[in-house]
Amino acid sequence: MRTRPVSISSKLTWMNLMVSGIVLVLAVLAFFFYDLISFRQNLIRNLETSAQIVGANSVSAMLFNDPESATATLDALRTSPDILGAVLATSKGSRFAEYRRQNSPDLLATLPAVSGMRDEVMPRGTRVLLAHPVVFQGKFSGTVYIAAELTEAPQRARHYLTIAVLIILICMLAALLISSNSRRMIALPVIALSETARRVSREKDYSVRAQAPRDNDEIAVLVDAFNEMLSQIQERDAALRLARDTLEKRVEERTEDLRTANRELEAFSYTVAHDLRGPLDSVQGMVFLLQTAGEQTSGTERAETLARLGDVTRSMALLIDDLLQLSRAGTAALQRVPVDLSMIARRIAEELQRSQPERKVEFMIANTLPVEADEGLMRIALDNLLRNAWKYTSHRQNACIEFGFRRIHGELVYFVRDDGAGFDPALRDRLFQPFHRLHNRAEFPGTGIGLATVQRILARHGGRIWAESKIDKGATFYFTLSAGHAAS
Amino acid sequence: MRRIPSSGKHRRRRVVALWLAVRLLTCAAATATVAGPLHGDSESAPINDVEAAYLFNFAKFVRWPNSVAGSPLIICIAGTDSFRQAVAGLVNGEKIGGREVQVNRVVSNEAIADCSILFVEVTERTRLASFLDAAKGKPVLTVSDAPDFLVRGGIIQFVLESDHVRFAINLDAADRNNLSLSSQLLKVAIHVTGIPGKGDTR
Repeated sequence: MRTRPVSISSKLTWMNLMVSGIVLVLAVLAFFFYDLISFRQNLIRNLETSAQIVGANSVSAMLFNDPESATATLDALRTSPDILGAVLATSKGSRFAEYRRQNSPDLLATLPAVSGMRDEVMPRGTRVLLAHPVVFQGKFSGTVYIAAELTEAPQRARHYLTIAVLIILICMLAALLISSNSRRMIALPVIALSETARRVSREKDYSVRAQAPRDNDEIAVLVDAFNEMLSQIQERDAALRLARDTLEKRVEERTEDLRTANRELEAFSYTVAHDLRGPLDSVQGMVFLLQTAGEQTSGTERAETLARLGDVTRSMALLIDDLLQLSRAGTAALQRVPVDLSMIARRIAEELQRSQPERKVEFMIANTLPVEADEGLMRIALDNLLRNAWKYTSHRQNACIEFGFRRIHGELVYFVRDDGAGFDPALRDRLFQPFHRLHNRAEFPGTGIGLATVQRILARHGGRIWAESKIDKGATFYFTLSAGHAAS
Repeated sequence: MRRIPSSGKHRRRRVVALWLAVRLLTCAAATATVAGPLHGDSESAPINDVEAAYLFNFAKFVRWPNSVAGSPLIICIAGTDSFRQAVAGLVNGEKIGGREVQVNRVVSNEAIADCSILFVEVTERTRLASFLDAAKGKPVLTVSDAPDFLVRGGIIQFVLESDHVRFAINLDAADRNNLSLSSQLLKVAIHVTGIPGKGDTR
């Protein structure tokens, strides 16, 4: 699994070595050839100088026929190790004096004739033969021949090779040093990064971060990008976890809601059955009474029984109507239109007064601005609330019922207030549950569904309802509609 | 220019000096031995021709004072016509140091002052003293094959050495005549007397 961690640095080392090696070899070759050429040229120049000196110093010897003096002059060439031999020839071409290094090959056996007054260089393999015409006082006086060997060339090549090998060794050492440095600068951060990546994939721990190298190079950028990727993964993980938790919570909530709804529904159907069962039992009793005691009972008794039968069935019908209304309040499609609540309230008030003209009830209805709501449902809601107030003020000689609104914390809150029987504030939570009644049925008749219907309608509109009261001090029902549809 | 005698050939120099001393002691009697044909290794020319060539070549290694620069280089011959002709044959319109070369016969002692080179053949040695007197202090290179020439104040004296024509030089005499001789010339001389560079303060 663990790859060789030095591969990058060793590659760099090899690259360094290769480059420096090639450069060095080329440079050495170039210098060697340059030196070979310049060495040859220098040698020939030196030979020319020697020939010139020998020639100038031998003129008098030739003019005065003194070969010994000329030989002594030529002997001076002994100090130069390259020179194999020299011959001084007279202007007529005959040998006048000669110098020969011991055991040297005889390049001067035959002397080539020189034409003109210039030096002639004649290469002979690794050797060279120089002919220098001696000119004295404008007259050609003889020729100096010098044979020399380029012996130093291979020796210099060896020197060059030695130096090149030495430099290459030094370069290798330098490259190793540099590569150890590059290992610290390049390889180690990369290794640390891969180590972190492995740890992340092995331990699934996305909170770790790779250490960024000190210099601001590409590796630092890579490390930054890697760390950024890690933090992004971490964020996404957190978001996913949050989503999952929320979802679970919501499912739990929904399940709880459903469970509650189910329970309520059960209770509701039980209550409905119970509440319908009661009047039905009365109906059955009365029907039995009419059948069995049909002949004995007087006509007035029968009429009374029939009237009571009618009352019971009416109350059953009323209960069923209220149930239908409650159901509709929960399911009917909402059609929002501008609704004038004050006007609806006034109509209901008129209706109520018409139904019981003997009662003295003062209605105080404020003028409200139109709201966006379902007109039918709002009528049912207000009808329930006002009828409630009407009902619970029935014991008062002079009652007062108020419909108005108030702004509380920027929210428009409507209220219906009466000065009737009121209720125990400890029981106000049960007010809006269906079939829960706080008062005696005989005292204040009713199905117990009205306020539940109101709450459902307001909930449909995004609003809520609550109540304040004290026993015999009247009650106030507050409600809101959704903020967006409140009066502007 | 500093004149330095050749440093090599010491042993031969000593031998030659001894030989010269002997020759100088028997000067009068020895004159006859000069005659006769000679043979060199490289040149088989008669001694006269060799001496003529040397005489001509001497001019190339001698520096005359600046006062005579530009005037013709006159070689005066006191001796046989054959020798004079031999020298004249070499001139051949050649110039030495930019100077035209003339070859004259010595007619009078007064004319010697105009000479650049004065050659006195051994046959004329009775007049040698008067010639040297006339040339003394003048820029005249005196040359002779007379055996006691250097002793008597001449500058260059031809010497025969195993049938080879060589020469000896008296630097003091050259100094007296205000002439400077090239080291190249001194190098090939068999004998040099006098102190080099003495009085050469030009």
